[in-house]
Amino acid sequence: MKSLVKEAELYRTQGLLEESKERYLEVLQLIEKNQRFQNNKKAINVIKDRIVGLEKDLAEIDQETEAPELSGKVQDLIKNLFSFSQNKDAAEMEGAVALARFGQYERALAEFNRLLDKGTLPLIAAKNVLRCHLALSSTDAAIDQFRKWLSGELLSKKQLRDIRSFLEYVLKRKGIQTKLPEVVGGTSQRPKEAGSEGGFLDVCSVTIRLESGPCKGSTKELDVTFQSGNVISLIISAKDKDLVDSFVPGIRLRGVHFFSSICVFRANGIVSEWTSIKTGPRRGDYVLSITIDRSDKLDIL
Amino acid sequence: MANFNLKDRVIECKIVYYGPGRGGKTTNLQYIHKAFKKQTTGEMVSINTKGDRTLFFDFLPLGLGKIKGCEIKVQLYTVPGQVRYSSTRKMVLKGVDGVVFVADSLSVRRKENMLSLKDLQQNLAEQKKSIFKIPLVLQYNKRDLAKESIPLLSVKLMERELNRKLKIPSFPASALKGTGVGATLQECLKLTLQHLQRELKWAG
Ligand SMILES: Nc1nc2c(ncn2[C@@H]2O[C@H](COP(=O)(O)OP(=O)(O)OP(=O)(O)O)[C@@H](O)[C@H]2O)c(=O)[nH]1
Ligand SMILES: [Mg+2]
Repeated sequence: MKSLVKEAELYRTQGLLEESKERYLEVLQLIEKNQRFQNNKKAINVIKDRIVGLEKDLAEIDQETEAPELSGKVQDLIKNLFSFSQNKDAAEMEGAVALARFGQYERALAEFNRLLDKGTLPLIAAKNVLRCHLALSSTDAAIDQFRKWLSGELLSKKQLRDIRSFLEYVLKRKGIQTKLPEVVGGTSQRPKEAGSEGGFLDVCSVTIRLESGPCKGSTKELDVTFQSGNVISLIISAKDKDLVDSFVPGIRLRGVHFFSSICVFRANGIVSEWTSIKTGPRRGDYVLSITIDRSDKLDIL
Repeated sequence: MANFNLKDRVIECKIVYYGPGRGGKTTNLQYIHKAFKKQTTGEMVSINTKGDRTLFFDFLPLGLGKIKGCEIKVQLYTVPGQVRYSSTRKMVLKGVDGVVFVADSLSVRRKENMLSLKDLQQNLAEQKKSIFKIPLVLQYNKRDLAKESIPLLSVKLMERELNRKLKIPSFPASALKGTGVGATLQECLKLTLQHLQRELKWAG
């Protein structure tokens, strides 16, 4: 029994909390079975306290509030380390997207605005600016921003039209009814292609049929808050416990419908990660990432 | 995706420490930071969450000086081992040139070692890289605990379970004490530079 306690303690100090708890439970069972120890209330209580403490730590880790606000220096590092493309413009965009992926929305917003100002991949930069506003939960800021672009020279009429339909669609999915100002002048044709994200269509929302977990059999409609290439991120309210539990990292999602502002396509995806939000109005809620399978044939509906 | 600057003759390569959560990846980097002061060219950056678990990555830059007329710079990274940080792991693994797989010798982590190696294989495949071709070494960490009579997997068993198909160099180690840490890194650097030499045809 002494060696069991020793093991349990070591696992605890190494952060292997599940393993530690299991050992302590074994110890407890042994004590309760053994005549010699049965009356040793003190020992029993010590072990029980340990188990309660471990359970508390485990629960805390479970609902951990991730995405801390990082220092400017570390943000710079992320920006530099996670831009790979040889093409300078694409590399800068990758750095800014990496900041957003690591939850540094304020800084990412500044970066996307900077890129837009100097005319680097303006359509992608502008949409990401709007996504950042929406991720920071400021719908009004997103609409204001669009108004400003309308009266400025930064974006062409064609780009503005594309961005307008993107924003309109995203807002509609959020259940927000606003009449966005029209883009006047230029040709009034609808844009032929959607703005693409590294060859991927912009996804505004998804519908997913759940094949396992507490919501098994039901179909959920969810909005996309962020996208980088074939990885989309969704925010799920902490109140939606069943939904949070349904998306276990690694599970495959079959036949997901991806809605872009101009078309719908169907593909498979995989739940690649979830983290929770530490700061801002969405604090406590979860960010879920889904990787759209590139190898699957995209069925444009 | 090593960065080779032909004009200045500088090669920058990326080594990633991979493995199950709590296995000792960060401890490896901490030891290297301490023991190879002369080679480190910048601060070690760690982005952690509760209980020192890696949240995003650790980063440590090294400079190896000139090899065959080329200045060699190395970036060491660790990934977060916890299963839930899968997409961060993929991101950190992007553009990797060599991998150190830190396996946990604790018997209770037997399954986690195997799952993490499988996860590495899948994530490399997503980058169109093969686990059988990339410069890769194995480390069996926490061997110091044998003396404490904590149940450990034998090196023989770990070889059989993790290295039967790979057949790569492996090192028993204790990242906490520093044993085997240098040897692991050196072997990985050797394999990585050999690989790059072939690929970039540098120093022909
Ligand atoms: N006894 C012993 N403990 C070790 C050794 N290496 C690491 N540890 C301990 O194991 C625990 C986890 O080590 P880390 O280096 O943080 O593990 P990691 O692989 O970076 O973990 P994640 O960041 O969660 O993926 C810490 O408590 C370390 O002190 C070792 O060689 N011997
Ligand atoms: Mg770590």
